[in-house]
Amino acid sequence: MQANLTAYGFMAPAGLLVLLFFFLPVLIVLYLSLTNLASANFTSNLAEMEFIGLRNFQTLLNDQFAKKIFFNTIFYVMSTLALFNVTAALIVSLLTAHINRRAGFVFRALWILPRITTSTVYILIWRRMMAEAPFGIINQVNTALGWPTWNYGAENPWVFVILVNGFIGISFGMIIFTSAIESIPADLMNASLVDGSTYLQRIRHVTLPLLRWPLLFVVTYQSLSLLTSFEQILLLTDGGPGLYRTEVWALTAFHRALSNYFGNTQWGYGSAFAVVLVIIGVILAVVYMRVFRFDELVAEPRIEVL
Amino acid sequence: MEVELSNLSKKFGDVVGVEALDLDIHDGEFVAFLGPSGCGKTTTLLMMAGIYRPTTGTIRFGDRIVNQLQPRDRNIGMVFQSYALYPHMTVFGNITYPLKLKKVPRQEQQRRVEAAAETMGIAHLLDRRPAQLSGGQQQRVALGRALVKEPDILLFDEPLSNLDARLRLTMRGEIRSLQKRLGITAIYVTHDQVEALTMADRIAVMNLGRLQAFATPDDLYERPPTKFIAGFVGNPPMNFLDIEFAQENGTLQLRSESLELGLPPEFAAAAAAADGAVTFGIRPEDIILDDNGPVSGEVFVVEPLGRDDLLDIIVGTEHFLLLADPKRKSRAGDRVRLSFDMTRAHFFDPRSELALSWK
Amino acid sequence: MAAAGALTNINTDSMSGRLLLALRNGLLAALAMALLAFVFHSLLRPVIGSALVEETLTITLSRLFLVLLPIAAYLAAGTAVRNMEERHKALILALVAVSAVYALVVGAQAFLGAGPFAPRPSLQFSARQTDEGILVEALEAGGAAEQAGLQPGDIVTAIRRDQVTLTELNRRVGLAEDDDPFRLRYIRNGEQDQLTVRAVLQSGVDYSAIVTGLVIALVIAALSIYWPGRTLPYILLAVSLLPMVVGYLWLIIATFSYRTRGILPLDGQGNIGGLTIENWGFLVGKDIAGLEFSIWQVTLNSFLLAVMMTAVVLLVSSMAGYALSRMSFAGRKFFLSFTLILHGFPAVTLLIPIFFILLNLGNLPLIGDLIGFNTLGGITLVMVAFDLPLGIWLMKGFFDHIPWDMERSALIDGASRWRVYREIVLPQIRPGLLALGIFAFIGGWNAFLIPQTYSIGAGTVNLPVFLNELIDETAPVDWNQVAAVGLFQLIPIFIFFVFAQEYLLNIYAGGTKGSS
Repeated sequence: MQANLTAYGFMAPAGLLVLLFFFLPVLIVLYLSLTNLASANFTSNLAEMEFIGLRNFQTLLNDQFAKKIFFNTIFYVMSTLALFNVTAALIVSLLTAHINRRAGFVFRALWILPRITTSTVYILIWRRMMAEAPFGIINQVNTALGWPTWNYGAENPWVFVILVNGFIGISFGMIIFTSAIESIPADLMNASLVDGSTYLQRIRHVTLPLLRWPLLFVVTYQSLSLLTSFEQILLLTDGGPGLYRTEVWALTAFHRALSNYFGNTQWGYGSAFAVVLVIIGVILAVVYMRVFRFDELVAEPRIEVL
Repeated sequence: MEVELSNLSKKFGDVVGVEALDLDIHDGEFVAFLGPSGCGKTTTLLMMAGIYRPTTGTIRFGDRIVNQLQPRDRNIGMVFQSYALYPHMTVFGNITYPLKLKKVPRQEQQRRVEAAAETMGIAHLLDRRPAQLSGGQQQRVALGRALVKEPDILLFDEPLSNLDARLRLTMRGEIRSLQKRLGITAIYVTHDQVEALTMADRIAVMNLGRLQAFATPDDLYERPPTKFIAGFVGNPPMNFLDIEFAQENGTLQLRSESLELGLPPEFAAAAAAADGAVTFGIRPEDIILDDNGPVSGEVFVVEPLGRDDLLDIIVGTEHFLLLADPKRKSRAGDRVRLSFDMTRAHFFDPRSELALSWK
Repeated sequence: MAAAGALTNINTDSMSGRLLLALRNGLLAALAMALLAFVFHSLLRPVIGSALVEETLTITLSRLFLVLLPIAAYLAAGTAVRNMEERHKALILALVAVSAVYALVVGAQAFLGAGPFAPRPSLQFSARQTDEGILVEALEAGGAAEQAGLQPGDIVTAIRRDQVTLTELNRRVGLAEDDDPFRLRYIRNGEQDQLTVRAVLQSGVDYSAIVTGLVIALVIAALSIYWPGRTLPYILLAVSLLPMVVGYLWLIIATFSYRTRGILPLDGQGNIGGLTIENWGFLVGKDIAGLEFSIWQVTLNSFLLAVMMTAVVLLVSSMAGYALSRMSFAGRKFFLSFTLILHGFPAVTLLIPIFFILLNLGNLPLIGDLIGFNTLGGITLVMVAFDLPLGIWLMKGFFDHIPWDMERSALIDGASRWRVYREIVLPQIRPGLLALGIFAFIGGWNAFLIPQTYSIGAGTVNLPVFLNELIDETAPVDWNQVAAVGLFQLIPIFIFFVFAQEYLLNIYAGGTKGSS
């Protein structure tokens, strides 16, 4: 029993934080979504909140804007994922694996810059990229080439929302794919070379089949990330311009409950939006653990004292 | 310090590591645990060290039952196969560590570390880090660290298997003489039978979690109590052959498809105890190439071992291993005649695998 | 059906067979892309209900597929013959096949009246850009401009009140639909006046586009044979990184100039030049508009947050990771799989309820003032918690690789579990601690969303939040000042980037390192 006590001592700080910031919040968000808590009747005491059953979800289903936001989210996740997080990431990792090792490493390292740059600075840069003529960098190029200039922020915000998130997203898949490619036994590649296969054939018959699991992992993991992260969109367009043009689901939850422009904060209704994502998150997280056999990594320790 | 294991078992989930082990080790004795990998010998050692908790049974050091004691309260020293030196500490730091934990006064620490280093011949290495040492030097540091706290019992877990063959030979002698000089009870786990045979006072042979035998090296070699031990102890291994006993013209005979040999009368009791088929065993050195020998065979493979040639000889459908003088220049395909020293034959029950010849 | 069978069982031994294969692959690729473009352009919106789908998004995607269509088709055709023994034969085949695919694509466009054959909106006059404006040179007889009353020699200056150049005018016309009115301002004989020209769709063939297209097709065909070669990957990788490089370049240039156009610094007269270090004045005490307290206070907050977060993440996750890796206790399996589930769970969805947790933590006696809402402590704890699943998992992985014997040896030497953890095991996972430490530090230093959400007071504002306030000001934004503060904030990040790339590459894959 003393063994258990020591171990629980080691686990306690992590356990407490997980309890406070994962476990309880999941319960609280479920509860909040069943109340009508808003600025008018705000209280931080859970017992004093007014319980209204599933009415928030009824409102949500009948909300025309919620439908638009839903489809926005689907398009945003699918196109960013398909174009950048998977395809571009795969191309970058194949190209960097093909060239000189050192150079490949440098290129891959450069690709993590978007991820480690502070979101506010990163978005600052992009806002200057897409700014109107004569200030915007892209429009400066357009002018230099004699092409027409655009007000990208107003006319085509989605292109930039996808670009901004896609540039960050490339690095995750790139790293996963690269380590998978590098772990392909050299013998296999050599055997295939001896067989007289071409570069493309090697990719198709040797590399891609071995990338099946990493691909599946990147697709599932990144679709959840894209679905739930909204920091960049918040900073780039804040869901605009106009009514909900680039608003996504996670941003709506945030807007409703934590950053309402009109001052009427609806914690209950916002939580209803969040609950949808929480449920998807929990389901997918459990699925990862099963599908990717993480549970097989759980081996028994080989010291039993204390 | 005496060590007594009684009815000691260890299960990992459903897997049996060690089962119902009973063993008495005398004070100052050097005992080797010998067996193939996975036989439970290291598990037994780790239970004695206090790393594993026994599922059943007791471990007694002297007159204390130590089952519930922490490793640090058992006053043991242990040397590991990987040496397990702490890479971020110097040699001095490694050897002092047990003393620091025991809160031995600083000057005393210094004195004892220097003494241990002197004993192990590593006094000049005290400022180095483990990564800067050769395998043999690391081994000495590990031994020094185990000895510095003056333990009652020394435990060794295959300490020599990472060393090259020559170093292994010298370390064997050193460990053995050190142990005798200090008079510490030592328990030594190994899968190398030569190590066990040359170093140990007694050998505990284990297989599949069970104790097969606990005897002196001579006894194990000359009178193996089971077929497993007969096959495991001795290199090249004992030859085995399925035979039946027969009586012909009043003399005892051994028969198989390809072989018929007369037996000395002392095996009559064994023959009487046998019920049909019997496993016959004979060591390679007890089969002699003899131009007048009663058995004829053909050399199948010659494997030069240096001092000897190892011959694989076919008799009928059976293969026998034996040692021959390289000067004979044996070659595959040679016809040879053999004689068997039947006084040194062994017989085993094929089902229980127990020896029939030694009761 | 026989034809279909012939298409799937192409004998690739003969030249003609290979040519057929190339043609087939090229056309299939073209069809697939066209189908995708069609789905996005015309099918999706009606099916879902047009009000619910952001039009610019679907149209952009469909355009993207249209742009990719020829490229995919040529690549598919070219690569089909790539693996031939003789390069030059392969090249000839690829060129022939791609030309054929191109002819078919252009033929289809002619049939559908698309691409270079599409009718284009036009105002039906020709003009050139002069200093005064757009000089009308000739009018098409009976055309839209003539009907509206425009005359050669008129100088068009604006559409309504917007000054336009010829390129801008052409762009606007290009976007117009049939019969869209254009209210043009023009100068005739020194008199300013305006008139309305209605755009008409004019059919015609853009021959230059057809020729350009053919050249591009042939280049792609050649590339598809010699791809990837030695230099092409470098070019592709460099080009793909260009936006980022240019962006950072702008950031650096902007901090040293009064104002920028694109990435060029400008002086007061609008000429290139006007460099200054004034934007960095905040480092030596110059006030930044909108900031009531010292930048060093904000920087200190940022630094404190990063350091506290690093320390707590390292301590808490290494302790838990050690227990999970090295100790057997009741509930270990549960904790492990729970950690794994958390690792996959998007914590950011819990921002709303955590607001209430922090509010209630703030009500606790004694520690409430340290870890509640709107405190640096509370923000740190939330950020630590979000990093824990990764941290614990990573630490456990590192502990798993330490030989068991080392720890057993220490236990036998007389150490307690706590001392083994501190004195024996922790020193051996320095690379892991370093990696997780860098990750946590960068996370804390860059923290924006959580401090922004859970702080309202000045005391907790850190650099990223402060930057956002500078940008969000209602007063005109001093972009160059913002850039300077932004670059200042990025300095530690760049340092880590230069000296710890390897760690960063590993840890930003979520510590998975491609396992899975």
